[in-house]
Amino acid sequence: MPKVSLTVNGKPASAEVENRTLLVELLREHLRLTGTHVGCDTSQCGACVVHVNGASVKSCTMLAVQCEGAEVVTIEGLAAPDGTLHPMQEAFREYHALQCGFCTPGMVMSAIDLVQRNPQGLSDREIREGLEGNLCRCTGYHNIVRAIAAAQQVMHGKVKELPRAAE
Amino acid sequence: MTGYLRPATLDEAVAALAAGPRTPIAGGTDVYPARIVAAPDEDLLDLTAIAALRGITADAAGWRFGAATTWTDVIEAALPPLFDGLKAAAREVGGVQIQNAGTLGGNLCNASPAADGAPNWLALDAEVELASAAGTRLLPVCDFLLGNRRTARRPDEILTAIRVPRPEGRARGVFLKLGARRYLVISIVSVAAAAQFEADGRIASARIAVGACSPVPVRLPALEARLVGRRADPALAEPADLAPLAPIDDVRGTASYRRDAALTLVRRALAELAR
Repeated sequence: MPKVSLTVNGKPASAEVENRTLLVELLREHLRLTGTHVGCDTSQCGACVVHVNGASVKSCTMLAVQCEGAEVVTIEGLAAPDGTLHPMQEAFREYHALQCGFCTPGMVMSAIDLVQRNPQGLSDREIREGLEGNLCRCTGYHNIVRAIAAAQQVMHGKVKELPRAAE
Repeated sequence: MTGYLRPATLDEAVAALAAGPRTPIAGGTDVYPARIVAAPDEDLLDLTAIAALRGITADAAGWRFGAATTWTDVIEAALPPLFDGLKAAAREVGGVQIQNAGTLGGNLCNASPAADGAPNWLALDAEVELASAAGTRLLPVCDFLLGNRRTARRPDEILTAIRVPRPEGRARGVFLKLGARRYLVISIVSVAAAAQFEADGRIASARIAVGACSPVPVRLPALEARLVGRRADPALAEPADLAPLAPIDDVRGTASYRRDAALTLVRRALAELAR
């Protein structure tokens, strides 16, 4: 079986995989990083979104062997070693941007890529358009958009502290 | 799936195809979902490590879009208004992650009747570049797309680029599509239009293509001919102009709905060109 070597969350990782092994299987089954979820297996729902070389992709539609030498970041790679959450994670918590939580890892990964690519800042409408590849079946979009709108202010250095959600 | 190859050069890639059949893949966004139910045992040729296949270049003759150029690359590229339609297709082909992974060449080779790229390439009068160990040939996109999931690509060939000739004078492109929702769905009808304008704003030439209403997207020659010498106007499109279409009934819509929606989108495209 071919061996694939890559960087996952800043650490070198390698595994022997089948050619047909998908990136999400490598992450979940081989590396036991189960924070990345599989919702639909057909590139629609976005629960499996991770970053590959800085861009968000759906890990259920990429072969593990295609990631040879790549830098992959998953939801597990966001928080600081001391447990301090990434501003986007903090915002999802503060704004209660989840109900069942299944879509959340993909939402957070997509949201971070979206904010990083748009340093000029995003309107609520642009945030909604940017999340078209992520489905939330608890209909939790409203709070997700609020969380991302708040997190972008922290990520772009506009504010030091995350704006608190209204009671 | 028995073999996987990821060559770094085109020469290695065409040599691999000359040696035996392999399925070329790039972004994989159409490849893997199609194999969830029954994964065939096939050898893959991953083209994503070949740097020469990715990127957009321009010269006096026109533009060359590398086949492994992603939709995100198109969105981020500085391109003239001729490509406004292609950019619109790039933004609506799927969510951001599909835009990041999916490629122009893969979209064409997959040859879905509803591919969002295909009508744009017809409207842009594009040609494809096909490379094999025997050499390179050029083929107009209308001759490349043969039917549902069928192209003129020989098994030993790789689609390396899509070329668009540079029009004279001011030119603009438009793309409109109808789906059950804006993204993440297969188009029910799509319309791409590109027009070159005289200095006084009248149309010098126009190409209008409709997708998802026939096995391959087709142009509307009667309407294209009528537009020459006139200003773009929705009223110029007539139901009879849709004669080249052969829409079907399926889960996404009926044939008569498709025909009706196609006329509406063609008229909206003309309104857009008039602005």
